Order: sequence, then structure tokens, then C-alpha cells
Amino acid sequence: MRVRTPVSAGIAAILLAGLMYAQFGGRRGFRGDDDDAPIPADANEKTEYVFTRLRYPSYRGGAGYWGVRGSWTTDYPKAERHFVQGVRRLTRIHVRSMEHVVDLDTDDIFNYPWIYAVEVGHWDLSDQQAAKLREYLTRGGFLMVDDFHGSIEWEVFTASLSRVFPDRPVIDLDSKDQIFHSLYDIDQKVQVPGIVMFYTGQTFEQDGVEPRWRGVVDDKGRVMVGICHNMDLGDSWEHADMPRYPEQYTSLGYRIGINYIIYSMTH
Amino acid sequence: MFEFLFQYPARVFSKGAFVFLSGAPVWMLILAIAAAAAGLGLLALRRRGLTFPRRAVLWGLQAALVALLFTILWQPALRVSSLKSQQNVVAVLVDDSRSMAMKEGSETRLDQAKATLNGGLVDKLRDRFQVRLYSAGAGMRRVGKVEQLTGSQPSTQLGASLREAVAEAATLPVGAIVLLSDGADNSGGIDSASLAEVRRLRIPVHTIGYGREKFDRDLEISQVDLPSRSLPGSRVAAQVTFRQTGYANRRAKLVARSEGKTLASREVTMKADGTAQTESLLFAAGPAGPKTIEVALEGLDGEENAANNALRRLITVENRKPRVLYFEGEPRWEYKFLRRALDGDQSVTLASMVRTTPNKFFRQGISGATELEDGFPPKPEELFVYDGLVIGTVEASYFTPAQQEAIRLFVDRRGGGLLTLAGRNSLADGGYAASSIAEILPAALPASRNTFHREPAKAELTAGGRDSLIARLEDDPARNAEKWKKLPPISDYQELGAPKPGAVVLAEAIPEQSKTRWPLLVSHNYGRGRVSILATSGTWKWKMLQEHTDTSHHTFWQQLIRSLVTETPSRVTTTTPKTVLSDASQVPLRVELRDKNYLPVSDALVEARVSGPEGTGGTVALELDPLSEGVYTGTWAAEKPGSYLADISAKRGDEDLGRDMINFRREDGVAENFGVEQNRDLLEKLSAETGGKYYRPSETSKLLEEIALSEAGITVRETRDLWNMPIVFLLILLLAGAEWLLRRRWGTV
Repeated sequence: MRVRTPVSAGIAAILLAGLMYAQFGGRRGFRGDDDDAPIPADANEKTEYVFTRLRYPSYRGGAGYWGVRGSWTTDYPKAERHFVQGVRRLTRIHVRSMEHVVDLDTDDIFNYPWIYAVEVGHWDLSDQQAAKLREYLTRGGFLMVDDFHGSIEWEVFTASLSRVFPDRPVIDLDSKDQIFHSLYDIDQKVQVPGIVMFYTGQTFEQDGVEPRWRGVVDDKGRVMVGICHNMDLGDSWEHADMPRYPEQYTSLGYRIGINYIIYSMTH
Repeated sequence: MFEFLFQYPARVFSKGAFVFLSGAPVWMLILAIAAAAAGLGLLALRRRGLTFPRRAVLWGLQAALVALLFTILWQPALRVSSLKSQQNVVAVLVDDSRSMAMKEGSETRLDQAKATLNGGLVDKLRDRFQVRLYSAGAGMRRVGKVEQLTGSQPSTQLGASLREAVAEAATLPVGAIVLLSDGADNSGGIDSASLAEVRRLRIPVHTIGYGREKFDRDLEISQVDLPSRSLPGSRVAAQVTFRQTGYANRRAKLVARSEGKTLASREVTMKADGTAQTESLLFAAGPAGPKTIEVALEGLDGEENAANNALRRLITVENRKPRVLYFEGEPRWEYKFLRRALDGDQSVTLASMVRTTPNKFFRQGISGATELEDGFPPKPEELFVYDGLVIGTVEASYFTPAQQEAIRLFVDRRGGGLLTLAGRNSLADGGYAASSIAEILPAALPASRNTFHREPAKAELTAGGRDSLIARLEDDPARNAEKWKKLPPISDYQELGAPKPGAVVLAEAIPEQSKTRWPLLVSHNYGRGRVSILATSGTWKWKMLQEHTDTSHHTFWQQLIRSLVTETPSRVTTTTPKTVLSDASQVPLRVELRDKNYLPVSDALVEARVSGPEGTGGTVALELDPLSEGVYTGTWAAEKPGSYLADISAKRGDEDLGRDMINFRREDGVAENFGVEQNRDLLEKLSAETGGKYYRPSETSKLLEEIALSEAGITVRETRDLWNMPIVFLLILLLAGAEWLLRRRWGTV
């Protein structure tokens, strides 16, 4: 027993370290839930635009940021690594190849006027975090949310969003809104599915049959929060290199993402 | 003393020519003196009993005495011109303006002047000359008696009065002008043309000064500089210059008002007595329309003249919304936040285009679907519809040579404002150093690339920036400086070369790592326009890193963009030197007329329709200035006090070339409240320039002799002996006595 106790402790420590490595990953401290992606050679380039992912506390896992596989990490980092290559190729935006992660507990978020939050059907913002997000958006920041489905996740999403903006409604964005025309004229919008369609054979998840393009606008009608409900643009970026994933969805996912970035850099 | 020793005033010696009356040539005098001196020298050499230096001293005294006696024998004299008795006119001009009615002790300055005249001066003058008495003020008017002077003329224009006096001299033998005045001229001094005319006729102007040269306790606003035009909702800076005596280190309130409503105020501390002090005051221009702005300094008690503490100016808040074109080479945060800053600006329209892909633009703020649809305007006339131009990170080679030239002409000929921003394709990194645009930039560009750094840097105001309206985030200068110190670092900066001559560096960038100072905001005027470089694209951090209620970012950008366009001229531009006339009526109008390409138009019909108070008004046809292309001038006489509006129209045949409006205002009873201390400098200068002399009232007894020596009018040449001057006899006694005393001392007598 004398021997087994330290051995057990050692094994537990190794398991814990492994678990932490799985959670925080190598560089920049995180590892996503999906395929990893190599760190680009120019990851440290100083650029105008950086794809910035919001780290938020979520219900799933029950332990805030640090629950097993936090919702905010979905598709991380392959989705953005793929996507920014497209932004580089298709626009004149000076883009960094490496993403950045911010949260609502420090002021680092204010250095990045465009942020992306995924699976916000699981987020659970505190009042302080909601206030910081409100301040961020009021100063001119832009939030794109994606990959949440159905009425239950909508309820969860709006529960926190209503604390961010108690006085601003969520509206359906008109097809004529400039956010759909800042680079590409996206008049024909279809539901962009996640890879779950390979298993279910359908493009929607839960009861989110209809894709909804929504937003929260400021006093001058500018979109502050672009809400992509009942779709999974992140998967369309992440699996752009997957032969099975239909090109039309990836193409539309890229166009929507690029339009949202250019919109946020012009409005 | 001089006159006692030399028998005549010094003036006689300076005016007269020295002559010998004996008829013998001067060389004989010199020869005689030399021979006598030589003979005396021989005698001195033979003299025994004295050392050589003592013999030399005695010889010197004897030789000087002999020389003096020989000179007397040659009958030295002065030949001078003097006015012929009773055949010349002396014009006596008495300043009859309201400033002369100011009390100096128990009596007014005019009372003192009357006392001088009635105290014998007029009578003495009349003994030798014909005297004409004039009331001088806004003009000149002849009066019969001293008692007719009332001190009621609304202004003092000494130049105009002198011109009229000179005009009289063309028909009268005017021998001299005597001016009794406090020198408080309201026309900005005596013009050089009037002075030259007086000098040409060689009429001496003798001045007698009245009034204190310095008050014990007074504050006077001498100048308020305010732009004559502004944009609705913009901020305006009034530069107020004043000086005071008796209130050093005291605090007063500087206030700007319009129609009784206070627009802005702040406390200022008085500098040392007599120091010209300039302070700025910012206020909102408000909605469109003409506004009379009164700037006043309040809160000082016990002033000797409280009527000179306020000045009024007219500002026209134009009912126009200048258009600014912002051309950005790639999506950037600075573009977004600049647009947001201008979004709430009611005075400027921002039309912008950003290259989202190599061949696609995203346009915003455009007036129609066709505006900028072909990208950057290819022709000058299409670019010239804008008042201001902002160029972001666009490589110079993107512009064709014709477009580069159009940008240069946009500033030089159009008179527009250009702002270039930093970026990876801007300035030196964009190849601008080798482009024709480099010529119009306010700073040299480094020859090398890689000058754009995405490194945080602190923005710091320079001395020029602290005074600039562009950088004024807070009205109070001290609070503004503090505000700049607290601004978050900008996210990037770009290296610039040296500012060009005449350029002003308003702010510097200090990178957090290197601490080197780089010009951040540089401006200068070029041609008819102005150009600025903002060597960063990272001011958006001022918005994102401060509370959303903070206004620094949008205030800075609104002011910077307005500075580009506020002075951008339209095709018809009217100016007048003074929009507020104090006790004056003549309003010179100058109209500059340009076509669509902003080339001067010199074959147009230009007229001003003026409407004034009490139904007054009329039309002035403006004439082409033969010396300036496209410039038309004319003068309107504002006969009544009140506000005037001139509506200027320009036509060529049936073609309407454009319109402009200008407001001006006449105010009476104001001019004489300012500059009421005796301007002795002006009076002394006038006398010195014309061969006259300045006198205090107590010194006028010598005036008669001075006037008599005038070369103007009808003169007679007279000879005045010099041999009988007391100084001559004193010298003889001195020389002879000195020799005798020395001989006694040295024991030779």
C-alpha cells in the first residue's frame, strides 16, 4: 500500500496534466474540440484584422470556462484558420493567419472590434460580463454569433443577451440590409448545416428548421450583433477541406463571414 | 542754454547753410591759420625753461585762439529760408473726436487744446501768418473760432484729415500744419500715401500731444480674430488680444455672447502691465445664419475707461454642407470609426469608398447610385465637386498621372483640403515620395520603405497643437492638455521626414518601445488650399479603449475634417476686410470668380445687391480688377448703422456662374472708445517724417520759431551772423585765460 499510494497519486497527476493539456492545448493555452490545425508560420504577423473568438462561460459542463470541452471552443481552431485564409485570398483586408481569444473578464476585448462567439445557445453571462459586452458593443465593437439551433438554445441565448441589452430587441435583418451587400450580394440565403447532417440527413438541428438572420442594431440602425441562428457557419469553414461537405455551403459560409467582417469594418 | 550760447535755436543750424561773408576764399583762411600756427610753433620750440609737453600745450591754446580770431575775420554766417511774414498760411488742425472729450483731471483734452490755442498760440501765429482753424476727425472741416470745437466727431482718421489739408495746400501757400491731438487714430494709423504727399510738398507737421500716455487702471481689448465664415454646428475659436495696466495677476472673465446669450466663458489671468496678451475662447457656431458675436472681458473694477472691454464681430454660419471624399485602399478600423465620428456631424457630408477587393469598391454616404461608380474621380472637375479629400492606405501607383495631378490641383487651384493617413500602402510605403503628390505634402517622406509600424505609440501635443482648434478636445487649454495625456496609445504610427518650411507639427507620436518622437499630425497651406498628414491609422483606439461616453475621438475627427473644408472656397467667393465697421461707412467688396475647373473667369457680369437697415439698399456693379484674373471689386457705402446683407451674383450671358452672400454691420459710437491713451509714438513719427516736431502743451512757446523756418509756402532767404555768438567770446576768454593760468602755474609769468 505504501508503494501504491504514490503511484496512484502519480497516475492521477499525469491524468490531470493530460486533461489540462487537452483543455488548454499547446500554444495560446487552448485546444479545440475538433481536428487541430498547424500553427501558421506567420502567426505573429501584426495585422489590421485578427479573427477573435469569444470565450464565455456556458451551462454545458457546468463549470464555466473550464468545463470539459467548453461550448466556446467548438470548431476551434480549424474553423478560423481555414476561414482567415479565405478572407486573405478574397479581400484586401490585412488579416492575421492566427486567431485570438478574448473573454469578458479583462479589457483585452476592446482591442478587437470584431468578435465571434459560437454555440451561444449554451452561453451564460454574468451581469458583469453582460455589462462589459454592452460597453464593448456600444463603443463600436461587433459580435457575430453562430451555430445554435432551435427554440431551447434560442431561449438560452436571449436570456444572456437580454442582460446585455435589456432595452434593445432582436430583429430580423432585411435582405436589403448592407450587411448582406458589403462585398457579396447575398440575396439567396440557404441554411448552412453542420456536419451533423451526415448523421441525420437533414440540414437543421433540433427544431431549428428555418435559418434566421437576425441582429441587434444601435440607435442609428447599425448592426451590433449579427445573429446566425439555425445554421452552422463554423462547420462550413472548418470542413471546407472535407470532400463530403458540400461546396455550396462552404462558399455561402465564407461569403457571409466576409460580409460580416467588412460590414463591421465599415459601419 | 543752447540758444543762449549760440544765439539761435538748434533748428536754425540744422536747417541753415554755413557761409563766410568776407568774400575772401576759404583756402586763404586755412593758409592763414596754418601759417600762424607754424609761426607760433617756431616760437614755442625756441622757448626755454619749459618741458616739451608744456610748450606743446601752450602752443595748442595759442593756435586755437588764433584760428578762432581768423575765422571771425572771415565773417561766418548761416543762410536760412524762412516763411515770409503774413504771406503764408498755417493750418491748425484740432482733433475734434470724442476721445478728445475725455477728462484729464478737471478738464477735457479738448479744453486743454483750446487753452493752448487761446493762451497765446493763435495770436502769436496770427502776428506772422494767416491762420486757418480746422476740426479734424473722420474728415476735416474748417471752423471760424476755437469755441466751435465740440469733441463730437465719431472717429479719428488723421490720414484723411492730412490728405484734405494737403489738398488745400495746392491752392494756398501752406507753410506748416499744426496738429493738436491725442493721436488716437481709428483707421489703423496714417497711411503711407498721405504721408508721402505731405513730404512731397515739404510741409512740416508739428504735433502737440494731449492726454495721458498710460492709464493707471485700464484694460482694453485691441483685437478679436474670428473667422468670417463657419459651418453649422462647428466650434469656432476667437483669438482675443488685450492689454491692461494696473491689474497684473488679477483674474477676469472672458465671455462670448450672441444676442444676449452667453456662448462660452472662461477665467483668464492678467499678465504683466502693458503686455499684449492673447487668449482663445471656443464656442459653438450654432445653426446657419449671420451672428454678431460680442467678446468681452469682465470682472475688473475701478477702470478709467470701461467702454473698451468689449468688441463685436460678425460671423456668417453658412447654410452649406461641404462634401468630403474619403478614399480608402482596404477595410480598416480607422475607416469604420472615422465614419462613425462623422456620422453625427451636421456640418459635413462624408462620401467614402473602400477597396474591399482588388477590383471592387464599397461606397457609403453617396448622393446617388452613379456617384463614384467608376472609382476615384478620373477628371479634375469631378474631383472638384468635393471640398475635402481624405486618402487612406492607397498606393501612389493606383492613381494615374492625371489623377495625381488632379489631386495636386484640388489643393492648389480648387482650394480644397487634403488629409493623408498612414498605412502599409501610405506615404513612403505607398511610393508617394516619388510621386507628384509628394510636392504638396507638409512633410518630406523618407526614401526607404517599411516606415509603417503596428506598434502602440503615445500621441502628444506640440506647442502648436495646444493652440490649434483641431486638437482641442476640451475648451480649457489646461484641461485639454491633460486630456491628451490621458488618451490611450494609438495602435500604429508611420515615420515621416522633416516638416517643410511653413508647416506646423500639431502632435507627435512617441512609440512605447523606442521613445523616438515622430511627427504625427502635420499641416500646411499649399496654394489656395491646405494639406495635413495624420501619420497613424490607429486613433480608433481612442474610441474602443475609453468609455463609450467619451467624446475625444469624434471631437478630434470632426474638427480635423472641418479644418479641411471650412475655408474651401466656392466658385464665387466674396470677402471684405472688416465685417464690423466702427464709425465708418465704406465697405470694399472683393469677389473671386472661378469656373467648374476653378480657373479664373474674367468676362462675367458681377453685381452685389445690398439690403440694409430701414429699407436702405441698392446694387453695386463690381469691376474686374485689371491686376488680378477673375477678381472683381467695388465699394458699398453703408450710410446708416445696422446690419447689411450683400447678395452677389455672377453671370456670363445667360449662364449663371454662381452666387455668394456676405454680411456686414456698421456700428456708430464705438471707435472712439478704443485706443484713448495718447498715441505719442504716432504723433512723434508723423512730425519726424515730415520735418516737424512733437511738443507737449507746455512747450509750445518754441513752435513759432520752428514754423518760421519752414521751406514750404512762400519763403525768404536770410543771413544770420555767427561771429557775435556768445559762445565765440566765451571761447576767446577761455583759451586766453587758460594760457595765462598755465603760464602762472609753470612760472613763466
